[in-house]
Amino acid sequence: MIGIVSYGFYIPKYRIKTEEIAKVWGKNPEDVKKSLLIEEKAVAGIDEDSLTMAFESASSALSDIKIDKSKIKVVLFGSETHPYAVNPASTILAEFLSIEKNYLAYDTEFACKAATGALISASGLIKSGYSDYALITASDKGMGKTHDVLEYTAASGSVSLLLGKDNLLLEIIDFESFSSDTPDFWRREGIRYPSHGGRFTGKPSYFYHIEEASKSLFKKTGLAAKDFSFAVFHMPNGKFPVQVAKSLGFSMAQIKDSLTVNYLGNSYTASALIGLTAVLEKAKPGDLIYLCSYGSGAGSDSFVLRVTKNILKRRKEFTKVIGDKKYIDYPTYLKFMEII
Amino acid sequence: MISPIKIWRRQKEIRKILGKKGKILAWTKIYTPGTDFKKYAPYPVVLVELENNEKAYGQLVDYRDEDLKTGREVVSILRKVREPSIDGVITYGVKFKLL
Amino acid sequence: MNFIIGYHTTQFGELWEKSLFDLVEEAINGVLKQTSLSSRQIDAVFFGNMLAGVLENNLHSPSKVSEILKVNIPIFRAEAACASGGAAFNLAKTYLDSNSNKNVLVVGAEKMTDYSPEETITGLSAASSGEEQEAGLTFPGLYAMMANFYLEKYHFTEENLAYVSVKNHYHGSLNDKAHFRKKISVEDVLKSPYVAYPLKVLDSSPISDGASALILTNRHDLIKKQRNLVSVLASEVATDTISLKERKKFDEILATKIAGDAAFKKAKINRRDIKVAEVHDCFSIAEILAMEDLGFWEKGEGGNRIKELLTMCENGGNLIVNTSGGLKAAGHPVGATGIKQIGEIFLQLTGQAEKRQVNNVRYGLAHNVGGSGGTAVVTILSI
Repeated sequence: MIGIVSYGFYIPKYRIKTEEIAKVWGKNPEDVKKSLLIEEKAVAGIDEDSLTMAFESASSALSDIKIDKSKIKVVLFGSETHPYAVNPASTILAEFLSIEKNYLAYDTEFACKAATGALISASGLIKSGYSDYALITASDKGMGKTHDVLEYTAASGSVSLLLGKDNLLLEIIDFESFSSDTPDFWRREGIRYPSHGGRFTGKPSYFYHIEEASKSLFKKTGLAAKDFSFAVFHMPNGKFPVQVAKSLGFSMAQIKDSLTVNYLGNSYTASALIGLTAVLEKAKPGDLIYLCSYGSGAGSDSFVLRVTKNILKRRKEFTKVIGDKKYIDYPTYLKFMEII
Repeated sequence: MISPIKIWRRQKEIRKILGKKGKILAWTKIYTPGTDFKKYAPYPVVLVELENNEKAYGQLVDYRDEDLKTGREVVSILRKVREPSIDGVITYGVKFKLL
Repeated sequence: MNFIIGYHTTQFGELWEKSLFDLVEEAINGVLKQTSLSSRQIDAVFFGNMLAGVLENNLHSPSKVSEILKVNIPIFRAEAACASGGAAFNLAKTYLDSNSNKNVLVVGAEKMTDYSPEETITGLSAASSGEEQEAGLTFPGLYAMMANFYLEKYHFTEENLAYVSVKNHYHGSLNDKAHFRKKISVEDVLKSPYVAYPLKVLDSSPISDGASALILTNRHDLIKKQRNLVSVLASEVATDTISLKERKKFDEILATKIAGDAAFKKAKINRRDIKVAEVHDCFSIAEILAMEDLGFWEKGEGGNRIKELLTMCENGGNLIVNTSGGLKAAGHPVGATGIKQIGEIFLQLTGQAEKRQVNNVRYGLAHNVGGSGGTAVVTILSI
């Protein structure tokens, strides 16, 4: 059985409130909050980027179990805010983590599902016997154009997962993937901010791909929404995941613990995985968790995960850690995001 | 542009002091920085004695002014240390945050 | 025995019309005129400069000086950050120790105002270690760390440091060649903006242009003829780690102690024989540390002693310090400072210090430091 041996997360300390942004642009903060269901979002400092955050989450993932690092022969870095257009952040990360040198590394991109796609590929590499472990990182310092809806939602964060065969916290029971060519959200080379198709990002994009990937996996495994203790979806805002959960037959109780977007924003590739981290703070051995990511362009990866008893020994504190935060104002936000 | 080879050599040294705890031996706060550090100013710089008795310098991040005291416990973390040129290699290095 | 027979300095300040080598030429011509010597009578030149290579891609200065002087003699450049001038002087003196019947010209110069403050600050940080630069520690930042450490250890405040600047500005007001000739108060210092906590703009020496030159000789015929004659009793150089973090103590500059002890031993005189001294006050804390490390004050009492202002002209003290205005008020064109310091002692000992003349001086001391204490040069002169 292949699964997640260990996990780590990193959310930067700074937060900006929706009302702080809204008042600059003369919008009613209550209207914005009601439409996006986001109170505040996490912002990385001026000297942080996807790599530095990945180092934090990966260090955490590697800290609570003793493994021989030479057995990590796969290192994959998923992001849409890579430090370089050409140069692998995966090897920079591996180098700083002292993972030496007989390993396969590459950086992946598929908008917000860059890391979950890597998870699927990596599990194949472990199953084939190429490697005992794989380190997958999801990390983004999400950018949104000023005076655009993404400004309220695009956030920073990172999650790292160590995949393996033994001593698992989460078993990967099965997975599916659904892909198409759908231009709902994109960013051209050299252009700083992503562009998006407005309402087109909804039904034909987010909802269509998540629903199809989910139906496909439910059919394959013979499972339905009621069989799961928790469901976690990619969270571009506070409304979409709630709506798609309902359409797939999940109750509010099953998804409420995963809705980190309400207070952390959308950390792009890390978004769904941060939701998973929040859920793991509460999950019990034997629980089935349904995870479905979404990447614009577009596609979805769906997973059935089962919690093992090892969660009792190696569960990570989430709520308390996230609670250590500092609010910043709009000019400071612009400075940290290097917009000014 | 800083030599990428210098950055490469330096990064091997950096990983040896990452993730280590230490105590602040001396500190200051820089208000007038050199060109590569303008974006970060004002920033505190601390001289830390690490658990293995080695000493290291680094900026202190995520701090409040009252935290700037000798004897305070810190841990070394990875951050960008210099403003890179638009086409140069990014310099990652050690900074500190309070424990 | 080696003697200084002449000294000339340019104005120190923002000298927009003059390039580096314009200043060098001015200083050299001035000192040759003073001593009634021609360039053909100079046997060797020692040149102190720190930043020409870094800021203006200007190296091979020996050859440039050869072009200016129209000579083919040996010319050498010395660099030890802010102790470049002192190092050049020490090499010149050493040259005379091993070559008899020679006249040696020592000139120190720096051009700093052609560049933005950030570029100059970055250039100056070349005096610190790679790790210090990487941490964003500017040069003032290093002295600020020492200041914080000292103030915390000995229970002083920023106010104690301010007295150094007040005294040196008073002296600067008496020196026409100084960059700043305005007196300031303790309050002025405390209100000035921070450069690197706890050091403020008025705790810090400025960015200045300038050049200073001296002529040394061991030629008997010249020694008999020259009006102004000061003997070099000792010139000692000591070094220490470039990195502040590798030093044994953060509240002292060991290189100063070693060079100072060696110089007093060589000169065979005591601390109390020194009536006038130029010490390296790149920042206010540096003067306090210097007075302690040179042995004039006990370690840790500097903060109190400076408040007495007995090292200020006309206060009846036994030892007057930095009559030139120090680095703070006279200015700090890096390569020139070490020469200017020795030159100021020369002026004091030969009664040429005009409004800032200290009476009955027989022995004087100059102290020049490079970086945060990586090099120290201590020179003792007598009339």
